[in-house]
Amino acid sequence: MTDIDPSEYSDVWVFVEDHDGDVMSVSWELLNEAKTLVEETGEELVALVIGEDVDGVVEEAIARGADRVLVADDGVFEPYRADPYGEQFRAMVEERKPSIVLIGGTHTGRDFAGRVAVPTHAGLTADCTEIDVAEDGVLQARRPAFGGNVLATIICEEHRPQMATIRPGVFEAAPPENDRDGEIERVDVVVEEADTLTEVLERSTGETADVTEADRIVAAGGGIDGDLEPIRRLADALGAEIAASRHAVDEGWVDGSRQIGQTGKTVRPELYVAVGISGAVQHLEGMNDSEVVVAINNDPNAPIFDHADYGIVGDLFEVCPELADALEGAEQPEVTL
Amino acid sequence: MTHNPTIVVGIKQVPDDDEVRIDPDTGRLDRSSAPAVLNSPDRNALEAALGVRDDVGGQVIAMTMGPPPAADVLKEAVAMGCDDGVLISDIAFGGSDTWPTSLTLARTAEYLDADIVVCGEETTDSSTGQVPPGIAAHRGWAQLTYVEELEPLPEANQLAARRDVEGGYERVVADLPVVVAVAFGENEPRPAGLHRKIYAENEFEPVTVDANDLDIDEETVGLEASPTNVGGMETIEGVDRERTVVDDVDELAEAIRSTEVFA
Ligand SMILES: Cc1cc2nc3c(=O)[nH]c(=O)nc-3n(C[C@H](O)[C@H](O)[C@H](O)COP(=O)(O)OP(=O)(O)OC[C@H]3O[C@@H](n4cnc5c(N)ncnc54)[C@H](O)[C@@H]3O)c2cc1C
Ligand SMILES: Nc1ncnc2c1ncn2[C@@H]1O[C@H](COP(=O)(O)O)[C@@H](O)[C@H]1O
Repeated sequence: MTDIDPSEYSDVWVFVEDHDGDVMSVSWELLNEAKTLVEETGEELVALVIGEDVDGVVEEAIARGADRVLVADDGVFEPYRADPYGEQFRAMVEERKPSIVLIGGTHTGRDFAGRVAVPTHAGLTADCTEIDVAEDGVLQARRPAFGGNVLATIICEEHRPQMATIRPGVFEAAPPENDRDGEIERVDVVVEEADTLTEVLERSTGETADVTEADRIVAAGGGIDGDLEPIRRLADALGAEIAASRHAVDEGWVDGSRQIGQTGKTVRPELYVAVGISGAVQHLEGMNDSEVVVAINNDPNAPIFDHADYGIVGDLFEVCPELADALEGAEQPEVTL
Repeated sequence: MTHNPTIVVGIKQVPDDDEVRIDPDTGRLDRSSAPAVLNSPDRNALEAALGVRDDVGGQVIAMTMGPPPAADVLKEAVAMGCDDGVLISDIAFGGSDTWPTSLTLARTAEYLDADIVVCGEETTDSSTGQVPPGIAAHRGWAQLTYVEELEPLPEANQLAARRDVEGGYERVVADLPVVVAVAFGENEPRPAGLHRKIYAENEFEPVTVDANDLDIDEETVGLEASPTNVGGMETIEGVDRERTVVDDVDELAEAIRSTEVFA
């Protein structure tokens, strides 16, 4: 139906997600990964910054690898709403015709991506964990499917742009290079407050933790039953960050920015201790690449034991403090192997 | 009119998640033997929709796009309390990715004169979460995703919601019609009532619609109209784990200490 000429489309775009000046780390991960795509295609790497008073974000986008930054700076974009973001983004895509558009698979990214992809009839692949580009410029967007045992490659040959949302934590961000040069271009803002369909009455956010950087993680699951103390104790002994399954996050025991799994972060620490976590496929997808996995669970049939290097069947309220004691003992030089 | 809103809920039949496990030995799974069930996040959508009806009245209609056996999930929805169920079925829809799927569901919502469309966060089989924003985008309607709680504002012809956002929450109010995607696990889906269950099993017949009824041009749906295609599938090698279950805490501490992490 919508016949387009793919050769009219070029450049790789990366959406830089900021809320009140705070940039989600997945944006920098994508900018860094996208460098390898443009090396392949010889195109420009373009960052999109949408928000209000975003000069600092624009500077950092260049330092993080963008050749060009497109900026839509207006009060209508703060705080984030799907309809003005989608409309602005759509207008820019239609005008400038990018070949590839990468968006972090955060709640925000997954919220508005469709509002761009639908009106432009773009191909949109959700939650990718690997991307590369073939010689003909076709994006190979890979994502786990069928409960995580298959990696599906999704392609979009006849439509443009080729859009993908990418899971946070799967790629590494590069440190900023402050002497990098890049062009900054302010674009026309096409959205007016009067045309918006939604209004944010209240927004309350705290610090968001970045568990993807941690070398060691102790993750809490439904088994903790609201008591984080054993997790804290063990995390202290190991010098580890605290993370959680979705169950523990949904119950409000642990903040959502620490959720591991398909709809949370992907981590690959040296050590991942799953405490009171059953091992559902959606959880495993976020931690299966950890170097060493340890499971603490009182159910010997919990699937997590099949995906762990070391497991112990026992009550976490007893095992965690005992293990913490035993490990702290290990810090003493005479006990260390 | 929105004192009696028409609330349409998108639900999908999927292979049972519990049967879809990674076999650590072979790294394979047998999905064909997995029974088909209602996508579990859609239960939260049904509960949220029925909750709105509890508050302000109106009617709740479940819709599912799929082959005829998918009508089973409509029965479940009716047993839970939905007033009616619509099966959207046509060979023309086969092979649809999220673009034509959301077009078809948007058309159906319009056909049913929906004020509010409620969906689940995502399906466990295609897990894109893109269908609800897609429905909204096809019609230029407002959308509210990752919704924890709904608050209808019939006087203002609006719907307010508490949404889960990174690091916190926000409260947003949207004009109608609106598409809602309820965050998985955010509410306690009500059990089916006995009488509704008997009705659903014995008397209920879903309304069936096809492309023609919905005035959908067959060229705009199905495989041909889907921008994305599956280019290939690769089995992921299961990560080879030691799978050693130790007997006591000291042994576990020893095992952890002996790993490179502590080297
Ligand atoms: C669309 C979708 C997306 C999802 N995304 C994610 C995701 O990103 N991340 C995620 O984690 N999940 C996700 N889930 C949910 C996932 O399917 C599971 O429901 C969830 O991971 C279960 O969390 P859990 O194992 O911590 O809790 P439970 O299933 O409640 O398991 C608790 C475990 O603790 C053990 N236990 C209980 N008491 C004790 C005790 N005293 N001592 C020791 N062990 C104890 C039990 O034996 C059990 O194994 C998703 C689901 C869907 C449908
Ligand atoms: N075939 C379908 N029929 C009805 N509703 C659907 C269908 N596919 C997706 N949905 C709805 O859209 C939500 C998100 O699905 P998805 O985008 O496939 O992850 C689901 O939870 C359903 O509420």
